[in-house]
Amino acid sequence: MRNIFLIILFVFFISAQLAMASTEREINIYKNIRCLVCQGQSLNDSNSDFAIDLKKVIKKKIIKKKSDREIYNYLTERYGDWILFNPPLKINTFLLWGFPLMFALLGGVFIYIKVLIPHSRQ
Amino acid sequence: MKKQFKISLLVFVTVIFSVIFYYSLKANNKNNPNIMLNKPLPVIELTSLVNTNLKQELPLINRDKYYLINIWSSWCVPCREEHPILMKLKDKIKIYGINYKDKKTNATAFLNKLGNPFYFTGSDKDGSVSIEIGAYGIPETYVVNSQGLIIFKHVGPLNKKIYLRISEIIK
Repeated sequence: MRNIFLIILFVFFISAQLAMASTEREINIYKNIRCLVCQGQSLNDSNSDFAIDLKKVIKKKIIKKKSDREIYNYLTERYGDWILFNPPLKINTFLLWGFPLMFALLGGVFIYIKVLIPHSRQ
Repeated sequence: MKKQFKISLLVFVTVIFSVIFYYSLKANNKNNPNIMLNKPLPVIELTSLVNTNLKQELPLINRDKYYLINIWSSWCVPCREEHPILMKLKDKIKIYGINYKDKKTNATAFLNKLGNPFYFTGSDKDGSVSIEIGAYGIPETYVVNSQGLIIFKHVGPLNKKIYLRISEIIK
C-alpha cells in the first residue's frame, strides 16, 4: 500500500515537472515573438485575436515536439524576421551582431597597447 | 603626425557610422504584410461551414487560372463593408471563403441576408487556418494563381481601388 502511494506520488511529481518545463518553454517563445497587430507588445503580453491564435498554433507545435528553431522558422516564413524580437544572424543583420564583437576586440587591443605593454616595460 | 592620424580615424569612424545609420533608417525592416507575396500558398484543408463532411484542400494546382481567398466573419464590421465588392467579384473569379471564429448560425444568416459570394466557405474555428496562410486579422484577401502562388494580398476591407486592381490582375 505504501509502495503504491509512493509510485503515485512519483508519477505526479514527474508529470508536474514536465508540465512546468513545457509551460516555461512556451512562455520563453511567446516573449521572443512580437505581436504584429499591437504596439510594441510581445505575444506573451497581448490578448489580441492575433496573439491568441498564434499562441494556440505554437502550443500545438510544441505538443507535436517541434523544436524552437522549427517554430521560429514557421513564423518567419509567414510574417518575416520582424516577428522575432531577437533577429537571426543573416547578411543584413551581420553588422548588428558583428559590431559589438568587433568593438570588444578593438577595446581589448587598445587596453593591451595602452595599459599592459607600458606596465610590462616597467 | 599622431594627432593627424587620430583625426583621420575619428573622421573615418564617423563617416562609416553615418552611412550605416542612413541606410538603416531608409531600410524597410518594419513589418511587411506582403512577405507571403509570390510565395506558394501553404497547404490548408477547409471544412465546409454548412456540412462538416465536405472538405476542400487548397492550393488547387492547374485548375483555375486564378482564384480568390477571403477571410471574413459575420461579427466583423469591415467585412460587411467589403461584401458588395465580393458580390461583384464572384462573377469574375471563384472565391473561397474562410469564416474566422464565427458561429455557424450567424455566418449563414449573414450570407442569407447579404448574398453568398463564395464558391466554398470553410470554417476556421480556432484561427489556425488563417495563421497557416500568414493572416493578420480580418478581413484579408488573397489572389492565387494556377501554380498555387499568392500573387496579390490585401489586408483590410476591399474598396473600389482594390477591386479595380484585382480585376486588372485576373483579366
